[in-house]
Formats: sequence, C-alpha cells, structure tokens
Amino acid sequence: MTIRPDLAEKIAGRVRYATDLEVPGMLWGALVPAPVAHGRLRTVDLGPARARPGVVAISATELAALVGGRQGDRDRPAFPRERVEYLHQPVAAVAAPSLAEARAAAKAVRVEVEPLPVVSDVDAVFPDWPGSSAAQHPSVAAHVHARRGDVEEAFRTAETVVRETYRTASVHQVALEPHACLAEVEGERWRVRTSTQSPFGVREDVASILGIPEESIVVEGTWVGGGFGGKGASFVEPWALLLARAAGRPVRLALTYRQEFLLGRTTLPAVVRMETAVSAGAIRARRVRLLLDVGTSLPGRDFATGYSIGFLLGPYRTPTFEVEGYAVRTNKPPFGPHRAPFAPQCAFVVESHLEEVARRVGIEPAAFKAAHLWETGGTTPFGQPITDFGLAAAHAAARELADDWRRAAPPGHGVGLGMGFWSTSTGAGGEARVTVSADGIRILQGEREIGSGSVLVGLAAVAERRTGLSRHRIRVEYGDTASAPYDAGVFGSRTVGALGRAVDDALVQILGTLAQRAGAPTPVRLAEGERGVELEGRGQRWPIADLLTDEERAQGGLTAHGKHYGRGGKIDESLVVDGTFYAYTDFTGAAHVAEVAVDAQTGSVRVVRYAAFQDVGTVVDPPTARAQVEGGIVMGLGTALTEEAIWSAEGRLLNAGLVDYRLPTISEAPPIEVTFVEGHPGAGPFGAKGLGEPPIIPVPAAIASAVRAAVGAHVTELPLNPERIARALKREEP
Amino acid sequence: MADLDLVTPATSDEAVAALRTLPPEETAILAGGTDLLFDLEEGRLSARHLLSLRRLPWRTLDWNGPTLTIGSTLPLRTLELDPEVRTRLPGLLEGVRAVGSVALRHRATLGGNLGRSAPASDLVPVLLALDAEVELLGPTGTRTLSVDRFVQGSRRTARGPSELIRAVRIPEARPSAYVLQRVRPFHDISHMAIAVSFSPSDRRWRVAVAGFPPRPILLPEAATFLGGEHPDAPAVLRAAQEITERAPIVADRRASEEYRRQLVRPLLERAVRAATGGGG
Amino acid sequence: MSAHPLRLRVNGRPVELADVPVTERLLDTLRGRLDLKGTKEGCRTGGCGACTVLVDGRSTLSCLTLAQEAAEAEITTIEGVGSDAEGHRVQAAFEAVGAVQCGYCTPGFVMALTGLLKERGAAAPFGEFLEELGGNLCRCTGYGAIVRAAAALRAEAASR
Repeated sequence: MTIRPDLAEKIAGRVRYATDLEVPGMLWGALVPAPVAHGRLRTVDLGPARARPGVVAISATELAALVGGRQGDRDRPAFPRERVEYLHQPVAAVAAPSLAEARAAAKAVRVEVEPLPVVSDVDAVFPDWPGSSAAQHPSVAAHVHARRGDVEEAFRTAETVVRETYRTASVHQVALEPHACLAEVEGERWRVRTSTQSPFGVREDVASILGIPEESIVVEGTWVGGGFGGKGASFVEPWALLLARAAGRPVRLALTYRQEFLLGRTTLPAVVRMETAVSAGAIRARRVRLLLDVGTSLPGRDFATGYSIGFLLGPYRTPTFEVEGYAVRTNKPPFGPHRAPFAPQCAFVVESHLEEVARRVGIEPAAFKAAHLWETGGTTPFGQPITDFGLAAAHAAARELADDWRRAAPPGHGVGLGMGFWSTSTGAGGEARVTVSADGIRILQGEREIGSGSVLVGLAAVAERRTGLSRHRIRVEYGDTASAPYDAGVFGSRTVGALGRAVDDALVQILGTLAQRAGAPTPVRLAEGERGVELEGRGQRWPIADLLTDEERAQGGLTAHGKHYGRGGKIDESLVVDGTFYAYTDFTGAAHVAEVAVDAQTGSVRVVRYAAFQDVGTVVDPPTARAQVEGGIVMGLGTALTEEAIWSAEGRLLNAGLVDYRLPTISEAPPIEVTFVEGHPGAGPFGAKGLGEPPIIPVPAAIASAVRAAVGAHVTELPLNPERIARALKREEP
Repeated sequence: MADLDLVTPATSDEAVAALRTLPPEETAILAGGTDLLFDLEEGRLSARHLLSLRRLPWRTLDWNGPTLTIGSTLPLRTLELDPEVRTRLPGLLEGVRAVGSVALRHRATLGGNLGRSAPASDLVPVLLALDAEVELLGPTGTRTLSVDRFVQGSRRTARGPSELIRAVRIPEARPSAYVLQRVRPFHDISHMAIAVSFSPSDRRWRVAVAGFPPRPILLPEAATFLGGEHPDAPAVLRAAQEITERAPIVADRRASEEYRRQLVRPLLERAVRAATGGGG
Repeated sequence: MSAHPLRLRVNGRPVELADVPVTERLLDTLRGRLDLKGTKEGCRTGGCGACTVLVDGRSTLSCLTLAQEAAEAEITTIEGVGSDAEGHRVQAAFEAVGAVQCGYCTPGFVMALTGLLKERGAAAPFGEFLEELGGNLCRCTGYGAIVRAAAALRAEAASR
C-alpha cells in the first residue's frame, strides 16, 4: 500500500492551494487584455479604472518607478510598451478590494491599438516550404541545421525513398488549478507565495523581468494543483508583485480559466517533412525538416527547435542525415513546456513514418524498427554515446504482447505499437539539507509537491532505501527560497534523479559520520529501536541519541548538506551547420501497445486496452511509479485523440475552455498494464531514471499505429479525431 | 457588470404577473440556469432581471395513457431515472443522457433547454421527432405550440415576452432513438445527431437531424422513405440519401459539412435499428 | 445592486447571510463567505466538476448554481461529507487505493461519487459510476486509481 503523507489531507479537502490564499487587507488583481493579436499600442488610459474606489492600476509607464528606476530584461517586459503581439496579452493590471471590482476596473481601462497584420500560423509565413534564405526571414526566431554524410548521394542511389508531411496540434497543459499567487512587498522585500514547479526558477525570472536583485525576492511555493510544465517558469508573479508594490498592500492574482487557455504557454502546432531512403531493408539516409510555431517566444532564444529536432530522428541508427528546423514566430502566446515538450508529437511522426517506410519495403514494421533501434554502447546520430538504454528490451517485450493481443483481436479492432525516447534533465542541479536524529530523518528542500509524488514520496523513498529506516520516520519538509537549499525545479523528470541524488549524498555523509563515531563496521543502516532511531552495522546497534554532540542534539540532529550537479552531454559539433543543438542526458525510453476499436463509419476510436513497458533503471516507489505511467498515458490519449487548440486567422483562440478543448474523461481511460523494465541504470540514486515525462511520449504513436491496424487509415495529423480518421478512410477507399 | 435583480414567484399566477411588470428585453428566465450561468461567466448575459422558476410547482412528470406531460422545471436527471421513460420513450432517455454530466442534469431542466434553444441542443431534435408540444403560460391563459414552431433559430424561440414554458407534452409513447456523434462519448457537444420515432397511431416515421446551426430540423420528406414500422435496408438507405443530399447541413468550427453529410447514413441506420429493437 | 438575504443549511448547520448578490454562485458563497475552501474552483463553466457539492443529497455543480437558487437547501461540502455514511465510505476507498495526486480534483470526485451512492446505491451498474464521474476531470491519475476506488466501493457493498 502506498503511503502518501498528503493523502488524508487532500481527501478531506484540507489542503490550501494558491487559489485559496487570503490575507487581511488583500486586494484582488485582474489583467487588462490587448484587444487585437498584433498592433501598435496607442493608448492605455488607466484613468477610468483609477476613478473607481480603491482601485490601483499599472501599465508599462509605471514600471520603472515601481522598481526604483531599475531596468528589467528589455526583451520581456512585464507589460508591452509599443507593440502587442498576441490577443489578450496583458497590457495593464489592476487591483481592487474585491474580484468583481477588479474585473470591472480592468474593463474600464481604455486600450487603443492600431492593428497590424496578424501572422496566424506557419503556413502564413511559409506558404511554400522555406527556401535557402528563409533563416533571415523576420518571422524566424531560430534556425537549426545539421548534417552528416553525403545525404544527396544516399537519396539518389537508394532503392526506395518515402516522403511524407505531418502536422501536429497545439496542446495545453490544463492543470485543474489555474495559475495563482499572493504577492506582498514591504520596502525592498518582494515576497510571493505561488503555485509553481520551481520557486527558484520564479525568483530568477522575476529578478530578470523586473530588474531587481534576486536577494530581495523571496518565493514560497504553495501546494500545486497540477503542473505538467505549465508552472515551470514565472507567469502571474511579476504582475502581482508590481500591483502589490503600487498598492502597498498584498495582492492576489489568479488567472481565470479562460485566461489559462488564452495566455497559456503551450505546445504550439508544427509541420514536419520526413524523407527516408532505404536500400536492402536498411535505412540509408533521412532528411527531417521542421516548422515549429513558437508563438511570441523571444527571437534567438528558442530552445524548442534545437532540442526537439533530435527526437524527430527517433531512437534509430541513422548513418546519414540532414535535419533543419525553423522556429517561426506567430501572433500567439509564447511556446511553453507541456510534459515532455513536443516529444509525443515527434514520436508520433517518426513512428508513423517509419511504419509507412517499412510497409513500402515489405518488412514488418516492428521488425524494421527493431533492426535499427539504438542499443547501449552505440552512439546517437549526433555522436552522443548511448548509455544503459532499456528501450530495446522494452520493445522486445512489447512486440511479444502485441502479437498476443493481435491474435485475440476481433474484427474492427487493431493493435498498435509505439516507441519513444527521452532525455531527463538530471544535469540541472539541486541541494538538500538532511538531518538525522533519534526521531528520524528530516529532509529540507526547496520544492513543493506538485502531485506526482516525486517530492513527498520519491525523496522519502530514496532515504528509506539508503538507510533502511521505515518511511513513517522520514519527513520531507520545504522552505521558501530564503530558507531552503537551492533546487532547479520539478521538471524534466529530474526530481528523484537529481534532487534525490542530493538527498542521498547528504545521507551518505551522515551515515559515514555516524559509523565513524560509533566505530561501526560498514555498511551501516538506520533502524527503529527502543531509544528511537538507531545505527545498525553487522547486527550491532547504537542509539543515534548517543552518537550526537550536545550541539547537534540542541539543533535537532546531525545535519548534512547534499548536492548534485550533473554533467550535461555533448554532441559532435562538427555536424552543426547553423544554430544551437542540445545534447541529451540520461537516456530512457518506453514501448507501448494499444488495442483500439475503430468505427469505420464515423471515425470514432475507443481504446480497449493499453500496455506500457517503461525503461526505468530502478523503481523507487512502485505505487507512485505506476500512477505516473497511468497518468502520462491518459494525458497522452488527449494529445493523440481529442486535444487541439484552434486559432483563427485573426489570432483568436476559438476553443478557450473545457467545452471544446476536450480532456480525456474517465469513460475513455482504458485498463492499463504497466511493466517496468529494470536493469539499465540511470544517473539517479540506485540507478533510478526519471519517470514524470516518458510515459506520455509513445502514446500518440501507439494509437495511430493501432488505428491503422484496425481500419487501414494512415492519419498524418494530430489529434486523430473522428473527422480526421473518417477523412483518411475516405481517401483510402478504392 | 451590473448586478441582476431576482424575482422568485411561488405560484403560476405570481409568475405571470411578475413577468408582466418586467421589461422583456432585459429579463432572463432562470429554469436551472446551467446554460444561463455559462453565459453570465463569459460576460454574454445582458439581462437586468432574473425570473426564477425554482419555487413553482412545475417539477412534474405525468403519464396519461400514452401521453407524457413533463413540467418545465423538472430536473433532467429525474426524467432520466423514470423507469417508464426508459421503456416507453427510449429516444427521450438518450437525448437527456446526452446533456452535460450527471451533476449538471441534477439542475438542468427540460424547459430551460428548450427556452435557451442552443443550436447543438440534444433535446430539441428528440422532441421534434416525438411531435412534442410546448405549453406556454401567459397573461391570457395557456397556448400550445409544436416544438417545431416554438424553436425558431439559434437561441430564438416563439415564446412571447410575457409567457413562460409551463410544460412539454409528448403525445404518445413511441419506439424512438437518438444517435449522436461527438469526439468524446460523454460530456461533449454533439457534432451531428439524428433522432427518429415511429408513431403507432399514424404509422409514420419522424426524423430530425441536429448538431449544426442554426437549429435542429425535422425532415418529413426523408421520413416518408422509411415507410412502415420495419424499414428494410434499401428504405433506410434512400432516406439517408435524401437527407445527405437535401438537408441544409452546414459546417461550423466543430465539424465540416462533408463529414456531417458522411455521418447521416450510419447515424440514421443506427437510429432506425435502435428504434425498431435491433439495438444501437 | 441587488442583494437578498439567504438561508441555507451547510454541513448540517443553519447558515443565514444578510445580503447575497443575485449573481453570486453557490461556489463563491461557500468559498468566499463561509471559508469552505475545500470546494475547488476550476473552470466555472461546468466543464471540470472540481466544484461539485451535494444539494439535498444530489451532486451539483456549485459553479453553475446561483446561491439564491439553493435557498433553504441542505448543502454538503467536502468539509462535511466525512460525517455522512456514504461520504465516509468514499473517502476511505480513495485513501485505501491512493486515488489522489495533486488533489485539486479530489473533493469534486469524492462529492460526485458520494452523490451517486446516495442516489443510486453502491450496487448500481458500474456504467452508472463512470457516467457520474464522467463530469469530473482529473489530469494527474489517468483515472486508474479512481476506477479502482469506485470498483472497491461496489465490491464492498456487495459483500456487506
């Protein structure tokens, strides 16, 4: 049985989220939206709002005064000065004694914008595929280009060449809890309580946006009602802090659910061209070209393209290749991370394309993929060594199960297989302060639990495994950025892998110190005894209380500061023609099997059952590990089948709400079998690998493969909604 | 947003009297409110007065022989759980179950759904196919209109400024079915839907299609192709062709016209099969 | 500005409020005036079920219910559901299975499931459980643990 320390409180509804925070004298904030998606800002008249009782209003003109004349990052000011770049972009903010008054005041602000032409999507920028000078196009935020070998020659001489174009949709994180924070400013002390995946990341962002020193900012994380990448960076905090400064009172600012959709930093749409050259059943060369809509992400700062494009080559040996990607700026909100950012979309494209390639050359797709799959000891196309990679083992197991399911599948059902790999962010650093006393272990660290269990359960499980002490004697505590040790954040599937290593490092130090003091033979462990926690080594025991100095006893125990700063990987830079490519760290992968029933007349898909084979290194806590995989898969079903943010040519989001942006419900969640593939250790404690993101990655690929197996529809666009499937079926009618 | 004024009459007479004193263009009727509050949240409600039907004794469900009369403020969930509705008007049951979620149907009412008359209503097509009538209560008494005449367009009805929907009457229990297509099986907006019923008294079929603007529509010509109580496959196909080719089906942001026309045949086949006892 | 007095019973206790605006939702009355913040505010448009409470024992979206429309009604929220026999059973099942991650949707799920048990009984067909819970979104769990909790409630009722 799982022991989640937050379980009872959450079931009783006693947990307080940022949306629940209220303090005496608090004002309520509201944002003033830009009325068009692109235009020159002519007027932001705060007068009518300020005329209302108790209302404070601010815009770009107040910025400098509010931060004592300092200058924040010019590329991302809290409010735009001259130009609005997406619809509903906040151009001002207000605070009032009640939420209703704040909203009314926000409406009263007079905003005049001289409209400019709207760049709605990548097709508007490049109606034809980008030509040779496209990298200089003003709408291109970043351009990446790399190649290896004689690509032209390989394509010219290949027996078979397969060319396809894929499109993927924008998907939103949709954490149930909207972004919210409570800001208080006293003198030069800027303090914000916020729902975030990264208190230290918010501190850094706020400092950069407002131009104030990090030391004067304190960020305290609250309980988080779901993150999924959407709460990784600062969002509402700078506005709330500025309002609190202007008002001289605490201000709470929360996005409305509509704003969650309108302003949310999501995965934006992409177009991908795939070309593969095959001879004698083997891949000779590949060409991958990506047009990624990055919305109003900053020019030159695009990370998504240089990071994602590697996923479009997939976990396959590719001797000769060319990849080229454009990050295209449009009048949408900035691109943002969504659980394994853009990787499920990439896996869908690669897996569907290689399945098509295999079919054209007459090889069973799973066999074709297996023959090209990366293995431990090999190198990636970019020349990175592949270490302890469990995907081949996962794929072999998945193939076997898929064969069983296929044999049992009734007509109209199809069984599909999809794979994906991931690189966990264990390079990003973290620290923890761990204290051992007669009462047990206390872990002080800087993150709040976002739901996955990685903080409250994962870190405790690491401590349990290292020391042998039972989980109920282990407490994970948090502090704000002033009191807790630094950690990069709960993202990139890194909490157990990196912060867990810091916890482990501290515990190893403490066990070493205690063993030395006791003169105990190593290895030592901790155990519960008559006098509380005891040190144990080869059957002998020493009460911890006896091993502490008076000073340590007074301070609550023996404390050690653990650290983990991982190393990033390195790619072969000689392959790079233009732009920045990012190396991967700590490879992991998953192979999924899906059985679907497709209604060939309507295009409706029902997922009948599902199985995941997850490369995990070591399972640290089986119940939460399983829960991560189940949750990731169902979130992936949304990306695969139903979720799609749709913008009009005027840059208006047409489905800003849960009516027409469809998350999977309980009725669509299939039974899921989870198998962990252990024995390919990662960089985390005890060889653990990150698990937050990988389970979502193969889902759209597995579903597309299953739909194709069921009714023969080869759908090259996400999501595979009924209309797209029906259209594909019509296209393939004889 | 200016706040609203609320009137909560306890009797039918009070309700009608109250309505006469309120400016029609500034008055909204609250009969559950699940759709109205959606508009209120999105800032699309311009009313200044709310007339709530909450206290009226209209939460009724009366079978009189073959005829079912449903009080306009009866929560949809109560209608759905009525054992007789399940067996005698299966199409109505399916229409009700298609509305929102269970928790929403604990508040939402049949009168509210009709009065709001959303283009994607799941109940209007069913009521059309069942020849349902709307009983309107006004200052001079009651009048009765067919649902077909009552629903005029997208969010437009024939309700007079001082009238209230008192009840909906379904003349007879009928073999009936409602089949829909949406992205999610539950808790979604229908993109295309077909309701059918077969009248045991005049031995004719009714067919209504829905899911696209401006409003669900009855298709009497297509229904004639279905013929008698047990249409054969060619008859259903002819009816489907008639609808596919002639019905004023249009695209909106939820589905294309082509896809909707493509759905006519499978949905009609399934609806007729379900109504004739062949299962959905 | 129009406000009216409002009388409710909340979690078994009578509540009298002097001036509740007509447009105020039950959700805001519970969270704002009565400080019952266990009921969560999600989409406010009936799409997520996070705000589900019981009104006279029936699962109800408090975001789509005007407070005035709940006058004289008996309201049960997550804060009070533990003293209800069905509610207590649901909470115990969620705890036994660990059907919680971030917890934001949890109160809504507990209330919806409690409402179903009260309305239809634990022996209702499992499809009815799924239909009731189809109105509640959870982004974390993939619903697997919630399905297991619901199934456990049925099994427990069958063995009782």
